[in-house]
Amino acid sequence: MWETVAQAVINGLLIGGIYALVSIGVTLIFGVVKIVNFAQGEFVMIGMYISFFLSSQFGIDPLASLLVTMPVLFVMGVLVQHFLIRRVLGPNDMPQIFLTFALSLLLLNLALMLFTANYRTVHTSYSDEAFHIAGLYIPVAKLIAFVVAMLLSGALWVFLHTTDLGKAMRAAAQNRDVATLMGINPNRVFCVALGIALALAGAAGSLLMPFYSAYPFVGQVFVLMAFVAVVLGTLGNVMGALIASLMMGIAESLGIQYVGADSGLIVVFAMLLLTLAFKPTGLGGGRVR
Amino acid sequence: MRGSKAWNGLWLTVLAVIVLALPLVVKSSFAIDIFIRILLFSFIGVAWNLMGGYAKQLSLGHAAYFGLGAYTSTILQIDFGISPWIGMIAGGVVAMTASLPIGWLCFRLRGPYFTIATIATAQALMLIFLKFRDLAWGAEGTTIPNLGSAPWMMQFETKAAYYYVALGLLVLGLVITWRIERSWMGYYLVAIGEDEDAAEAIGVNAPRIKRDIYLISSFLTALAGTFYIQYIYFIDPPTAFSFNISIEAALVSIVGGIGTLWGPVIGTILLETTSTLLQSWLGGSIGGVQLTVYSLILMAVILWRPTGLMGMMREAYQRYISRKPARA
Amino acid sequence: MKRDRKDSVDTGAGIKGTAPKRQGRRDFLIKTGGILAAGAFGAVPLRGWAADPVNIGALYPTTGSMAQIGVGCVAAAKLAVEMVNDAGGIKSLGGAKLNLIISDVQSDTTVTRTETDRLITGNKLSAIHGCFASALTLIASEVAERAKVPIITGSSSDQLNKGRTYTFTPFARASQFAKAQLQMAKLVSDTPKVAVIFENTAFGTSTSNGLKELAPGEGVEIVMFEPYSAGFTDASPLINKVKSSGANALFSVSYLNDLILIVRTVKQVGLNIAINGGSGGFVIPDFYKNVGKLAEGLQGVAHWNHDMNPDCEKVNAEYRKRTGEFLFEYAGGLVAQTFMIAHALERAGSADPQKVREALSALDVSSGYAAMAPGGKVKFGPDGKNVYGRPVGVQWQNGDLASVFPKEDARAPLLKT
Repeated sequence: MWETVAQAVINGLLIGGIYALVSIGVTLIFGVVKIVNFAQGEFVMIGMYISFFLSSQFGIDPLASLLVTMPVLFVMGVLVQHFLIRRVLGPNDMPQIFLTFALSLLLLNLALMLFTANYRTVHTSYSDEAFHIAGLYIPVAKLIAFVVAMLLSGALWVFLHTTDLGKAMRAAAQNRDVATLMGINPNRVFCVALGIALALAGAAGSLLMPFYSAYPFVGQVFVLMAFVAVVLGTLGNVMGALIASLMMGIAESLGIQYVGADSGLIVVFAMLLLTLAFKPTGLGGGRVR
Repeated sequence: MRGSKAWNGLWLTVLAVIVLALPLVVKSSFAIDIFIRILLFSFIGVAWNLMGGYAKQLSLGHAAYFGLGAYTSTILQIDFGISPWIGMIAGGVVAMTASLPIGWLCFRLRGPYFTIATIATAQALMLIFLKFRDLAWGAEGTTIPNLGSAPWMMQFETKAAYYYVALGLLVLGLVITWRIERSWMGYYLVAIGEDEDAAEAIGVNAPRIKRDIYLISSFLTALAGTFYIQYIYFIDPPTAFSFNISIEAALVSIVGGIGTLWGPVIGTILLETTSTLLQSWLGGSIGGVQLTVYSLILMAVILWRPTGLMGMMREAYQRYISRKPARA
Repeated sequence: MKRDRKDSVDTGAGIKGTAPKRQGRRDFLIKTGGILAAGAFGAVPLRGWAADPVNIGALYPTTGSMAQIGVGCVAAAKLAVEMVNDAGGIKSLGGAKLNLIISDVQSDTTVTRTETDRLITGNKLSAIHGCFASALTLIASEVAERAKVPIITGSSSDQLNKGRTYTFTPFARASQFAKAQLQMAKLVSDTPKVAVIFENTAFGTSTSNGLKELAPGEGVEIVMFEPYSAGFTDASPLINKVKSSGANALFSVSYLNDLILIVRTVKQVGLNIAINGGSGGFVIPDFYKNVGKLAEGLQGVAHWNHDMNPDCEKVNAEYRKRTGEFLFEYAGGLVAQTFMIAHALERAGSADPQKVREALSALDVSSGYAAMAPGGKVKFGPDGKNVYGRPVGVQWQNGDLASVFPKEDARAPLLKT
């Protein structure tokens, strides 16, 4: 019986790694640029499609395609910030909310137009394999995804805390005006933030390809979980988003196991609504880190 | 606002005559269907606009009330034989009641978090209705029994009748908005929309005003829900709590002119007409075109004219006035 | 409407954005006015052939989440109409050709409502076929009933046979699918212990309820019965649950994307369990494309298969030529439906929908393309159900579907996995 629990926890943890990659991007953008990127899921989708095409046309393994998707999405992030988001940064909420929302709709439907709703799948040698240890099974592709996700998160944390640019980003996140006075160019910092966030989303996409199918709506599924994790972990708190994502993956998995297979989402929503009701600033202590 | 009262009155009368006479002149069922859609979605937009436009509480979860209204009237009709006219009001009451706890929860948040929370509540309601079959047919949904011509049960044999009902709803919404715009509440709403903290600082009871406007907004949205189900003869959770409805409510208001009386109407006319044209040109052979165009329009409006079509027309009018050397 | 603005000067930012838009808007207004005017005065639809064609409406989702199946259906619909026309059309109407009018319902209930309406009111239709998906078909059928136009459909929803006179369902009902699935479980093991997982909307709940009710009668024990939310990120928790239930067979009532994930996850887990994926997304070429060899040996239940008799194979060959894929259940079924409509038109000698409806209700065929159904016979009862209707159990063999159950319908031996 404990096997079932342990397996459920492992399942949840592994998928939580993917949620983490997506949610860290959202929380980073929120922390630094102070807007919510509703389109984050669509960038995951773009990452998936890039990996798919590289794989089906050139036979490149999705993991190797990380080397392509991450830079490409980084550039996309810079472009999005520079040409779109920059224009709506102001005191008014409405344009900010609806701009990224419209972007999300746009990307999703463009994908629908260009690629149709068909599912695209990649089969690698390790796609359907798993490690069997002590009666538990750990799918290879998911483990790799988890490990890479943790590495990337760790790298980001190091970047934010040790490099000048990273510290500049945190400074801009904490107090934009003072940061500007100290000579930090907010737009440049925002471009980097968007770039990194979208690169992480693209990475999530590539990591998903070995075991998940690409289709236009795929981003929506992940972005919902990401948003909940962001709120749970406190907006702007990267570590918080990471931990919250892992927790949510586990909660969802346990929920499916013990409450009901259609209750995964309900459990997650319950977590969200409870947090909003009693600790709206999230469990991360309310500070941007 | 613009021009003299007499001028306004004239425009309105002409408009009223055209709108009232439309179904009598236009015979194509297809065209009347478009008009009904325009009327209905304008109404939904107007309901949304009260909260989202004036008070800037940007909800993307109004489908929750739409669905509650739809289900209430349908349950009352099928299980208890109660007329949807009464069911519609009952649905509105249910929606208002629901808006209280939902509002309590969501209003604690500002900006995008409020939006996310509203999305979550609408989704949660859909999940609940999907899960509990005893409550309301669960996932399979149900069709409205075919009663032929039964006006007291909100079923008509002619499309024109539906048109007039939808028109009535829209007029109701517009009148309510117009009255609120001119009342103290209207000013409070705008104040809250501009800067909630500042408004509170000068003594506006923001929580109470937000709660009140949410009551009205949810009530009206629920009415639309009832009408919609009566019109399409079918209800199931994905249809009643459709995220697209939440989106369209906000979309038409923003494109048309957020926080204005006629904004949602003009926005709906633009978007629905575009969508119909696209449908007839492309025959729906390429998926996603309509929403791609909608999202492009939305982005264009946000980036270049956040005040929407109404704002654009107002600006154009100002320029027109300022060009003429002297006005009588 | 509003007068055109001749101004090209603009204050404020974003000048470049507005000018072209204004031009566009003027043209756009003209076009709008034109189209609305045309529509208002009853625009006439496309005319296909010459003398008095008979209009048949086809409603399928060619965009949206159900597009994969919908697109195949439309290809089959066109093929079917060509076949009827090439054979001389409707002889009792002087060789009148069938004119197919297709409408995309975009996998959306509202659009279905509008489109069905538009199709009926904009054209003089004699009959409609369409919308394999339950929720969409229910709406289309409601509209057709009120408009008194007969609609014939492959959708298995039992609700379609309640209280309707214009709706005809030549193929198996959801309850029959359930029974067949249960019986097929016994092919795999003598004491089948089945885990049933189903997506929690209309399709999944109706089919799975049938399974639950009939299981005891078929001697099948259901050890797990779980609805799940479609479109999940990860099938592992669900499969984990299946594993711990001790089942030796898994019935998954799911749409394509979940099926793909479920099948792959079962493999990952190393769970040795027989999967019966029911029908729908499980029995279309796309499934094999995405799952590959993992599909081999998996069983399903279809309401039509191309190896049922030589006529079916002929149509399959032609369809294969056009689309490069085998003819799957809904697509093949609607070819039969087109011929049923043609048959009814012949007997009615009229394109009037009400006469067609009467002819359909008296339909009784056991040969030819109209009778392409498991069991080879079609006759409608008073509730629009085909009294001979039954499903056929299929199995994936070499990238194609082979009928394996029941014995009289088996065209290939059952592969043991």
